[in-house]
Amino acid sequence: MPDGPLIVQSDKTLLLEVDHPQSKECRAAIAPFAELERSPEHVHTYRVTPLALWNARAAGHDAEQVVDALVRFSRYPVPHALLVDIADTMDRYGRLTLANNPVHGLTLTSTDKAVLEEVVRSKRVAPMLGARIDADTVIVHAAERGRLKQALLKIGWPAEDLAGYVDGQAHPISLAQDGWHLRDYQQEAVDGFWAGGSGVVVLPCGAGKTLVGAAAMAEAKATTLILVTNTVSGRQWKRELIARTSLTEEEIGEYSGERKEIRPVTIATYQVITTRRKGEYRHLDLFDAQDWGLIVYDEVHLLPAPIFRLTADLQSRRRLGLTATLVREDGREDDVFSLIGPKRYDAPWRDIEAQGYIAPAECIEVRVSLDDEERMTYAVAEPEERYKIAATAQSKLPVIRRVLERHPDDQKLVIGAYLDQLDELGVALDAPVIQGSTTNKERERLFQAFRTGEIKTLVVSKVANFSIDLPEAAVAVQVSGTFGSRQEEAQRLGRVLRPKADGRQAHFYTVVSRDTLDSEYAAHRQRFLAEQGYAYTIVDAADLAGPGEVNGPDWVDEGA
Amino acid sequence: MPADQPATLAAWLRTRTDEQLGALLVARPDVARPAPSDVVGLATRLAVPVSVDRALDELDATTLQVLDAVLLSPTDGVPRAELPGLLPDVPAEVVAAGVETLTTRALLWGDDELHAPEPVRRAVRYPAGLGRRATDLRVPLPRDLPATLAELAPDERTVLDRLAGDRPVGHLPDSAAGSLTPARRLLQAGLLARIDAINVELPREIGLVLRGDQPLGPPRLRPEPEVTRRDPSVVDQQAAGSALEVLSRVTDVLTALEEEPAGLLRSGGLGVRDAKRLAKELKVGERDIAFLVEVAYAAGLLDVGGAQRDEWLPTRGYDAWREQDLTDRWAVLAAGWLTSPRLISLVGERDVAGKAVNVLSPDVVRQTAPALRRSALAVLAEFGPGEGLAAGELVQLLRWRTPRRADRLSPVPDLLAEAERLGIAAGGVLGSGGRGLLADGEDGAADGMRGLLPAPVDHVLAQPDLSLIAPGPLLADLAGTLAVVADVESSGGATVYRVSEASIRRALDSGWSASDLHDFFTRASRTPVPQALDYLVDDVARQHGRLRVGAIECYVRSDDHGLVSQVLSDRRTANAELRRLAPGVLVSGLGADEVLTVLRAAGYAPAGESSGGAVLTRPKAPARAAGRRPGSPAAAGPRPLRPEDVAATVREVRAGDAALAARRAEPVRQIPGVTTASTLELLSRAVSEGLPVWLGYVDAQGSGSQRVVQPVSLSGGFLQGFDEGRGETRTFAVHRITSVALVGPQDAPAPS
Repeated sequence: MPDGPLIVQSDKTLLLEVDHPQSKECRAAIAPFAELERSPEHVHTYRVTPLALWNARAAGHDAEQVVDALVRFSRYPVPHALLVDIADTMDRYGRLTLANNPVHGLTLTSTDKAVLEEVVRSKRVAPMLGARIDADTVIVHAAERGRLKQALLKIGWPAEDLAGYVDGQAHPISLAQDGWHLRDYQQEAVDGFWAGGSGVVVLPCGAGKTLVGAAAMAEAKATTLILVTNTVSGRQWKRELIARTSLTEEEIGEYSGERKEIRPVTIATYQVITTRRKGEYRHLDLFDAQDWGLIVYDEVHLLPAPIFRLTADLQSRRRLGLTATLVREDGREDDVFSLIGPKRYDAPWRDIEAQGYIAPAECIEVRVSLDDEERMTYAVAEPEERYKIAATAQSKLPVIRRVLERHPDDQKLVIGAYLDQLDELGVALDAPVIQGSTTNKERERLFQAFRTGEIKTLVVSKVANFSIDLPEAAVAVQVSGTFGSRQEEAQRLGRVLRPKADGRQAHFYTVVSRDTLDSEYAAHRQRFLAEQGYAYTIVDAADLAGPGEVNGPDWVDEGA
Repeated sequence: MPADQPATLAAWLRTRTDEQLGALLVARPDVARPAPSDVVGLATRLAVPVSVDRALDELDATTLQVLDAVLLSPTDGVPRAELPGLLPDVPAEVVAAGVETLTTRALLWGDDELHAPEPVRRAVRYPAGLGRRATDLRVPLPRDLPATLAELAPDERTVLDRLAGDRPVGHLPDSAAGSLTPARRLLQAGLLARIDAINVELPREIGLVLRGDQPLGPPRLRPEPEVTRRDPSVVDQQAAGSALEVLSRVTDVLTALEEEPAGLLRSGGLGVRDAKRLAKELKVGERDIAFLVEVAYAAGLLDVGGAQRDEWLPTRGYDAWREQDLTDRWAVLAAGWLTSPRLISLVGERDVAGKAVNVLSPDVVRQTAPALRRSALAVLAEFGPGEGLAAGELVQLLRWRTPRRADRLSPVPDLLAEAERLGIAAGGVLGSGGRGLLADGEDGAADGMRGLLPAPVDHVLAQPDLSLIAPGPLLADLAGTLAVVADVESSGGATVYRVSEASIRRALDSGWSASDLHDFFTRASRTPVPQALDYLVDDVARQHGRLRVGAIECYVRSDDHGLVSQVLSDRRTANAELRRLAPGVLVSGLGADEVLTVLRAAGYAPAGESSGGAVLTRPKAPARAAGRRPGSPAAAGPRPLRPEDVAATVREVRAGDAALAARRAEPVRQIPGVTTASTLELLSRAVSEGLPVWLGYVDAQGSGSQRVVQPVSLSGGFLQGFDEGRGETRTFAVHRITSVALVGPQDAPAPS
């Protein structure tokens, strides 16, 4: 019996034993058609979904290769039915093609009359189709290209989109690689994207997604619309583009709540695009303002639903999605795939960390015992108040201070979700607080001071979850969060993962109240981090701080 | 007819050797039980219509065509040597083999000249797909048949050609007012016979003319299906993969039912809601659940149980099964499926009332199912290793093999799919396990599969995300323990367990201590136990048991704590088994009534209390016993005939025959109501040779009579014949016949 590294499960998950000598080879073989779901220390979990199989087909892999990879690396015999099912699923892709017909414009063509017949009769799809040209071809309303693909995916007959892209208005852009080079994985990501036309690149925070975007622009050499989560992140894009490409300040416009500039390269925030007045989106014109050759979506996993709808209309333009995680809390991964494009590149965090491009991180959960009074308050609180009471407990304060004292020379971030707690911390730790109401100017000033080392500690609210660039933050302490959100965890961890000048280790602390909802949510986050492959350590506040510093001895409970 | 040729079937049977008689019993086992008393009895049994039908059902199309050739021949006996001439397109050796098969089964008899027994003639309703004779259908044929046929309109000719094909009977289409359909015109022309309100039949003569030089229709030779060829080792691998899958899935289903049994429906099945629940728990479709549950039931791992016998529960057999190694476990499932009389593919189908058939419902029992499975797989087994048939080809071959059962073949594609899910076959090709199963049942299956399934592992890999991965099938006791301390997240080749707060709590509830758990994880995991796991165990253990719950029957309470203390320390109340739970509260494991009685006897004045605190008088309800419902007994097929049974039966027949021969000389008399074998033998001989007989007969009114009858047929306990005295065709009940004698040319009938 072959002793392969792979175990195929009934639910079409694949377990890959990492320490197996063949694991690298196997990973390469299964990566095209299986999504990496979890990558904890010993056994990684991949999942084979129809979406992933169709992506593999789109990338030119056929069912035979997939089946061969499974059979070759599998430790145990693979059920025949599963292989048949995989082949059947893959066979569904490409029966339908979207193409440009010189006479009729956009058409949907099928090699299989029965499939076309089924599709034409589908209630969901029919309204998007026009006249039937012949038995195999039907006209598609050009404006429905995106929605049609979405609908076809939902009914299980994904269409191959061969209708191509418009080039957009040409604009010279090149990378200014003076003293730096695109890293291998970044180059692979750009190549993967460009070959596929449109799609999503998944890279961990700190791995240089902005550069992937810049390189894609240099490849397109056309006017580009960049959609980002907020203004700060937009300015950071602008700074990066000026530094790394031939673009100048004048060529880059900012389209935000404050400014409405439209230039060859325009950076717009999600928020301004989705602003509605009297029920109408007021800034839709932006999409038509230029003949865009490329649209870049930063942080695709946060893309708001209205933008999906808008994106459906932009199918003739190249689209690049950038994200650290495809996990969407709203479960709309399908839409990301059908409207922006399939995943074109993916690398596990640990691999990039191993290459030294992102800082190795140590994740530590510090457990704090609440004092009697807090426990009583917690016990009698309304359910909806409980998390806040646990997360903002006073007992955390000395522990946070003690944690910060452990790293006197590092740049430190204290991250929380509750403003009064942050203000309190700001006072207690004598550190500035950045929150939603802080002006952009003030933010920029504080970030600058932090970058230069003038300020050692910053207290930030969840506004800092996204896209702020703090290259020298080596320590993050999270004190409260959004109910164990995995996405938030990925973002916060990203804050400390950017490589340190001296290659120091990053530290990621979570201060948690023992035996409360807080620790329950912490368990979610812990699982997420462990699944990402991070070693996760739990420390008692007492062990961290030394006895006597945490108030009250009653946390030495009976029994472990 | 040469003088040395036996004149009747019974006489011919007498000339057969013991081996040949044995072969007959083996081929038609239904006539062997109970053992016939003599050869005449055997011949009678062989004439029973059900038995004839059963024997014909097992014949392939070529053999049936050979039979048709004999049946269609204008004379009763067909010389063996002439038979190949009647079937020019069939190779002579195939014809000879067909004759051999037919004579072995006594469906044809005679050595030089082949005769078809009357019951066989009747059982083959449309020999070679031809209708009855025109005279039997009472249709006067046109004088010049070929000419009449040549003049027919094309549409009429089409109708006739169709009826001259496989089936001479057709529906008469509804005719629109005024116009005559071709079929109706043919009916008027007397070329078709109306047999009932809507059906017409084509007379044999017309069919034969239409068929021209192929009176028996095209030769029905064995089809040469397209054989699937695959690497036997790949087939075995894939079959083993499916086997592994079905094993883990069946275990999952049974584990789920162990935790929460499914209810027994009044109609006998497993409810839709339970099926849905299982589907959700296992993350598979409901059809998959139906299959897995049925397989578990067929293997005896699941049955009706519980205190009220109203739940589907894993059986004791399941406990033993779990301890077996994978190969043996698989063999139990495969053998259970093969012999199960339940057609799983019917589950979920709508019945006549439009209601979907439930899982485990008694409605899907088809006694023919095991034979169908076996015959389908046996066809595959005839091919060499690595060779097999796709479902369509298999059905085609089976249709040739058992044409009279063609209507029962519809489940075959589903059965093949089930066999593939079970790992008996893969892609239409039998695996080694499947071959073993067919050859030697459960043991054979295990031998065939041995070495293909992975060896069990004795460890798991603990990961920091609190998952435990068993990289292969686990040893039974380890799997049992893990089922307590963790939840299964995905199964298949490996099992992914997840440890959660709930699962740790469950372990603590079932008596584990925190240190037991630590020890277990350290022992079971090949990787170092992650710190998070240790913390989780300790966290949950710390919270565990802070609240205590116990069962008591009643309490004694009073605001007067002193009184309570007094009661507790009173010796006379010792029988009330009171203990103090809190100040002012005593509890007892005895019922409230008993405690009240004890306290009253001790001189206290207690009062009963309702749950709301109100004072009660005696609360007591009459007792009732829980009802029982009998479970559906497992259906058992007939016991197969063993070689020694066959030999014994042949001996018995021979002995009975010798005894009979001693009495044969005297004319047969019969006491009314007792049908002796010799009466029947005489009658059947008279029927086959067309000899008139004297009959002593008592009619339904009880009046006796003597008559001379020209017998026509004998079947189902009735003799049909032309009563010469009354000049009409009549039917005589055999049990009312009091005496029979041949009307010989030489001896005058002696009425008795």
